[in-house]
Amino acid sequence: MKKFVNDPKDFVPEMLKGIALANPDTLKYIPEYNLIMRKDIPQANKVSIMQGSGSGHEPAHVMIVGRGMLDAACPGNVFAAPPADFVYQTTKLIASPKGVLHLLNNYTGDTMSFEMGREMAEADGIEVRTVVINDDVAVKDSTYTVGRRGVAGNFFVIKAVGAASERGQSLEQLEALGNRVVEVTRTMGMALTGCTPPAKGTPIFTLAEDEMEMGIGIHGEPGRARVKLTNADKIVDELFEAVSNDLPYQAGDEVALMINGMGGTPISELYLLYGHAHELAEECGLKVWRSYVGEYCTSLEMAGFSLTLVKLDDELKELFAAPAETAIRIF
Amino acid sequence: MAKDIEFVVRVIANTVLENEAYFSELDGVVGDGDFGYSIARGFEKVLKEWDNMDHSLPGNFMKNVSQAIVSVVGGVSGTVWGTAFLRAGMVLGQKTEITRDDVIAIFRSAIEGIKKRGNCDLGDKTYLEALVPAVDSLEKSFKEGKDTQTALDEATVAAREGAEATRPMIAKRGRAAYTGERSIGTLDAGAVAVAVIFEAVSKAWKENPMKVDSERSMT
Repeated sequence: MKKFVNDPKDFVPEMLKGIALANPDTLKYIPEYNLIMRKDIPQANKVSIMQGSGSGHEPAHVMIVGRGMLDAACPGNVFAAPPADFVYQTTKLIASPKGVLHLLNNYTGDTMSFEMGREMAEADGIEVRTVVINDDVAVKDSTYTVGRRGVAGNFFVIKAVGAASERGQSLEQLEALGNRVVEVTRTMGMALTGCTPPAKGTPIFTLAEDEMEMGIGIHGEPGRARVKLTNADKIVDELFEAVSNDLPYQAGDEVALMINGMGGTPISELYLLYGHAHELAEECGLKVWRSYVGEYCTSLEMAGFSLTLVKLDDELKELFAAPAETAIRIF
Repeated sequence: MAKDIEFVVRVIANTVLENEAYFSELDGVVGDGDFGYSIARGFEKVLKEWDNMDHSLPGNFMKNVSQAIVSVVGGVSGTVWGTAFLRAGMVLGQKTEITRDDVIAIFRSAIEGIKKRGNCDLGDKTYLEALVPAVDSLEKSFKEGKDTQTALDEATVAAREGAEATRPMIAKRGRAAYTGERSIGTLDAGAVAVAVIFEAVSKAWKENPMKVDSERSMT
């Protein structure tokens, strides 16, 4: 393993400390609960929104805490859901009179922690609603009842409910909005390499020089198939076909198109991939209203990418275009 | 008897810490390889907090154990173990004495809690594959009036058999579920952990210097 670490056990806390020190005016770090939260939260007129998940997916979710996005994120260790107590304590700290919205990606661990944390918070009289994100078309819903995973499409759910919450929408409205975004969001990813969680020290899986894994999850879970590496356009073709076939759309529909890097893919390659994906969308009669190219939900240093399509309407377009701030700035 | 509960929890904690690497290795075959690490951190915390816990009532003690676990262990492991100890604490309530019926009620409630929390049942290749047959065996032995050591020994065999029986199953919960048919032929890490823990408790009970006291209060 060749990584920037001190003690691997401190990997997540030391990252969180860095985020807080880099954003002293806007963010607060509470070490006891791995919690990054906005300093100006809770607000009386705004539902508070939080997401937790394993670490290792940055910028999701600790680096997309900010106005118009998440109000708090409580990660677990790398690729491990947060303890139920973190969920509970975070919910308490950000609780607003309008309630708290939990967002979670559909994994057994996240679901169980958030359910338990929600019950603990509700016992204190805090109103909580939950939106479960499951945009990954690589996993079939039917065979294994765990269901589809939540992957890079979670960004769109966060962006929409974050913007709507700033406008004072109610907890019920935000829950319905979040579910509506999930319904029109589809993603599939692939990997060229594995990745190494710092505490483990060895790759969670390995791929030969001429192999790739199609339909990879964001923790290196197996996808649809391990196949021979092929050229970039053909890889985009396959992901685009899987994603668009699952998206209920008609020619003329407007979409958001995301090419999300998994952590180890240069931006140059991401734009190369985007170019072909954009052309494929237009060939299908889809109108690309807005592009999203970069790292939104990663798997440490994994080389690979995912492709996401979101079918838009006027309300979603407005919410996606609304101003927002996050902890990662380049300006 | 209240002390016996604490004795068993301490044996569980020590067993989990001793088997940290082994449990993670089992999980690494089809899961994400952090099972041993996760629960070891939980029981490490239990032992660290031990002296600060409420030892006046066994029910309160079990709730404290639950709190210690859910304060550090994430995801499935944290909620499964946290739920099991929380349920145990709720069953015991304000009781100062614990009967054999209480012991079975603790396990039954913990099992129901795990099923509900994990939305799982027998056949899904989880902890339950070892835990349920072990508790069935324990209950049967108690009904037949067997001594505690015999009851534990038989429950241990049932747990091990249950764990071994997970080999041909397809994982339907947790991250192992994504491997689908690739999970066939592997043992479920949680079920094996239950068997290892029963084995350790049974052995420790035999060597327990408090045995005479224990037998008196258990029967």
